[in-house]
Amino acid sequence: MTDNPYQTDRGNKDVSITNPKGVGTITAVPGTDRPMATDTAFLIGDSMTGGYGNGPDILHDCTIAVNPGEIAVIVGPNGAGKSTAMKAVFGMLSLRQGSVRLDGEDITTLSPQARVAKGMGFVPQTGNIFTSMTVEENLEMGAFIRRDDIRKTMEQVFALFPILRDKRRQAAGELSGGQRQQVAVGRALMTKPKLLMLDEPTAGVSPIVMDELFDRIIEVARTGIPILMVEQNARQALEIADRGYVLVQGRNAHTGTGKELLADPQVRRSFLGG
Amino acid sequence: MDILNAIVVLLNFVIIPATAYGAQLALGALGVTLIYGILRFSNFAHGDTMAFGTMIVILCTWGLQAAGVTLGPLPTALLALPVGIALTALLLMGTDRAVYRFYRRQKAKPVVYVIASLGVMFIMNGIVRFIIGVDDQRFDDGERFLISVRRFRDLTGLEEGLGIRTSQAITVVVALIAMVALFWFLNRTRTGKSMRAFSDNEDLALLSGINPERVVMITWLIVAALATTAGTLYGLDKAFKPFTYFQLLLPIFAAAIVGGLGNPVGAILGGFLIAFSEVGVTYAFRKVVGYLGPEGWEPAGMMQLLSTDYKFAVSFTILLIVLLFRPTGIMKGKTI
Repeated sequence: MTDNPYQTDRGNKDVSITNPKGVGTITAVPGTDRPMATDTAFLIGDSMTGGYGNGPDILHDCTIAVNPGEIAVIVGPNGAGKSTAMKAVFGMLSLRQGSVRLDGEDITTLSPQARVAKGMGFVPQTGNIFTSMTVEENLEMGAFIRRDDIRKTMEQVFALFPILRDKRRQAAGELSGGQRQQVAVGRALMTKPKLLMLDEPTAGVSPIVMDELFDRIIEVARTGIPILMVEQNARQALEIADRGYVLVQGRNAHTGTGKELLADPQVRRSFLGG
Repeated sequence: MDILNAIVVLLNFVIIPATAYGAQLALGALGVTLIYGILRFSNFAHGDTMAFGTMIVILCTWGLQAAGVTLGPLPTALLALPVGIALTALLLMGTDRAVYRFYRRQKAKPVVYVIASLGVMFIMNGIVRFIIGVDDQRFDDGERFLISVRRFRDLTGLEEGLGIRTSQAITVVVALIAMVALFWFLNRTRTGKSMRAFSDNEDLALLSGINPERVVMITWLIVAALATTAGTLYGLDKAFKPFTYFQLLLPIFAAAIVGGLGNPVGAILGGFLIAFSEVGVTYAFRKVVGYLGPEGWEPAGMMQLLSTDYKFAVSFTILLIVLLFRPTGIMKGKTI
């Protein structure tokens, strides 16, 4: 992925001298050469083109947007660049074209950390909890940038995910897959974000747990927080989506409300399996 | 059979010295384990960091002694300790600025840091030898014994004596305070928790708004305090010699790895395990066996498994056994 000699993995396998666990991968990414403004929304990744580092472009003129109270879902076949599109919106990708605007403000040049401070909550697909820390500490760390009283927000998270209250003294790494995802979403909610971004929140959980997670996500959206979500389970995700984006090879293939996309014969045939 | 005397001999020659030595190793290993957990590499410069800190403390102690300032029965070095910690912290932060920060920006793999720390080690090594020389330095003063052998014998009427040196008592007390403070900091304070979070998952810590540079700075600060304290206690207990401190790297790493790298509780356990094995294996048990066996059965040999010259072999062996059979250490390591 990189030609940086400091990042070659040679000789890096001996854990008695090097610690491979939890090493950071997020790099701040500068702005683009060609800003774009084709549309307006609360959050919009506008006409994004780019890829990882100096690698080839993965996204091509891809636009993703979401408004308050909405759930926007990015779906698509494997390798379509769903997660990549979300990472681009979050500033983890070098864009050659396009802009990202939050609430009218251009945030294209901001680092991911700075975007968190601006009110974007992000739940990565993997490594989204502090496994060695208790559930309560996870939530506390989520609220690290806040200096005010966080107890009320924690109560709200516990009200949303009651199981976490019972398990709050337990190490998050000991929880089941569904419970971990609840911790992950809860952690992101602790910053009181203006917007929540979920990268495959239902990956690797059982269907029953998945339904419950979707219910919770709808509940969060009802509180007014817009949600941008990448999903593998396209049909179910589109059912709850106010906006759906079908990506194919890094391009917007189909866009519309969830219901429209579910009804679209072309989407059904090529992608939802009839 | 004379169990009481046997116990006294054992206490005097094995348990008390090993406890003091173990506490010193544990403090050293805590520093190593913190760096491993947060900066994610094994810091080979740790022994020489200890030497640097101790050197500052010694110079400061000499200055205080020359000015006529003492702590009465306690060693003056305790008064000089904060200065040593402060200057060592400056050195470590300077090193971080000059060396490690570059690699952090490059997102270098941990092994690159390991090799860089080797270079830092040689430089620190040179600085210390340049300033204070390569010879033994003694800087302990104040009351030498808490309980002297003769007083113990007079008090108890036993044949064997038990001596507790002030430096040993101070080592244990100071180490205990340092450990309690460290655990309180890591588990109860916001900053401490943010360090644990950073150690657990750097990306997520970043996404939670934790500033990595701040975490790293605080880590160096704590490491400076731990290393200087460990070095000073070791110097008070034995003597200061730059080469000995360089050699201390081995038992300290053995302690940290045996305990489970990245795990502070493991570092402490490992420190005592290594110290007790080292002292236990190299101690001549002849007298103890003599007291325990029937009258006149005192063995002719020394009952010593290994000469003290080979004490490093003990840490090496334990290290090998642990790496072969339980590579993660006693306490599962890798996060703090």
